[in-house]
Amino acid sequence: MTTKSEFAAALMAEDHQRPAPPTAEKMLAFTRGELPPEEAAGIRERLIAYPDLVRTLTAQFPEAAEPGDPDYLSDDEFAGRWAALQKRRQRPDGGRVLQFWRAFGAIAATLAIVFGAMLWRAQMQLKEPRAVWQEESLLPDGQRGLGDKANELTAAGDSYLLVPSLLDNRPFERYRAEIIDASNPQRSLWRGDVVRGSHDDALVIVVGREFLKPGKYKLLVYGIAGARQEPLSTYTIRVPER
Amino acid sequence: MTNDDRFQALYRKYYKRMVRFYVGSFRVSQEDAEELTQDAFFRFLEAMDEYRGDAEWAYLEAIARNVAYNRIRSQNTAKRGAETVDINDRNSVPEPAAPSEPDYAQREEAALRSKLLRQAIAELPAGSRECIQLWLNDFKYDEIAKFLGITLDAVKSRLRDAKKILRARLGDSNALPEDEE
Repeated sequence: MTTKSEFAAALMAEDHQRPAPPTAEKMLAFTRGELPPEEAAGIRERLIAYPDLVRTLTAQFPEAAEPGDPDYLSDDEFAGRWAALQKRRQRPDGGRVLQFWRAFGAIAATLAIVFGAMLWRAQMQLKEPRAVWQEESLLPDGQRGLGDKANELTAAGDSYLLVPSLLDNRPFERYRAEIIDASNPQRSLWRGDVVRGSHDDALVIVVGREFLKPGKYKLLVYGIAGARQEPLSTYTIRVPER
Repeated sequence: MTNDDRFQALYRKYYKRMVRFYVGSFRVSQEDAEELTQDAFFRFLEAMDEYRGDAEWAYLEAIARNVAYNRIRSQNTAKRGAETVDINDRNSVPEPAAPSEPDYAQREEAALRSKLLRQAIAELPAGSRECIQLWLNDFKYDEIAKFLGITLDAVKSRLRDAKKILRARLGDSNALPEDEE
């Protein structure tokens, strides 16, 4: 006789093959009924693979406790918690990002020195005659047809003018880009904020030719809204031997 | 009534019950539940000025659920991103010795059986499959109905169909209880 728990365990056996859970934004749109039926069905199916996430939607939310009920916070119980909330509220970061900056303060300082040196070098180079930048339009991975070859940088000149096309048209407050070594994704070569170019759907990044040695790289673009950073597209770049 | 007064009234009414909501529904510790509750109220407080609706408790509920979703999702994502070990890496934790033959055979049999059950569920019609998956994960009929946006009767009917198909496919010995919620 197969029990209910045996069936449930059989489903759990596929744990590692589950699709990624929907993002918080998708979930919000799903609960508000803002998604087209097909997409909503897809989200529902993905959620079913995560019973705990489904429970966040179905769990019975409690009723309010009225004064006199033991669950109603007394003045004393309230005072301490209210003070903690007010303290947290007065911090512009809500008490979270600060810890992040503490942890990465040393890295930021190191990067500042590195970028300072690069800036100085760039300023020196500005005084020299320069070739005109030629635009390098980049298509995101998965959008370059069969074989998905890398975007090959062919422009001549001292710098590359990278113009990655964004397929995601949602507006973000800021955009951030990161260049990593394709053969060693843990190795980040550069990251920084980027600006949107004259085209609505493209960003503009200037990279010194010397910075990108021949090889394969990945350019990652993120959209930033408040404290949220969302990955938008990845572009594989190949710098040929000169 | 100022925003702070309105917030304080809600805070007193809901704080303890929200902590219990997190502990009971998501099996987190008391300490984690208090942290989640405080986090939800903080977000609610921050967003109160922009909220124009009347039912503030409903807004608080939406935020509380969202806070739980984010926490559980990040835990699941962390699990998915767990470090993998190269099977050729000699420095990794050594595998346990091969089990003796009877255990191995039993395990193989259990794995095969598990695969059969999984396949049988995967081949159910979508509506029945969703219902049975949730039911197997201990969701109650009304919770399944709420999540799928269908009636209670539809849930019962789909579950009945699913169990019938599974029984036909896997045999009577694998029949699931008919009326167990």
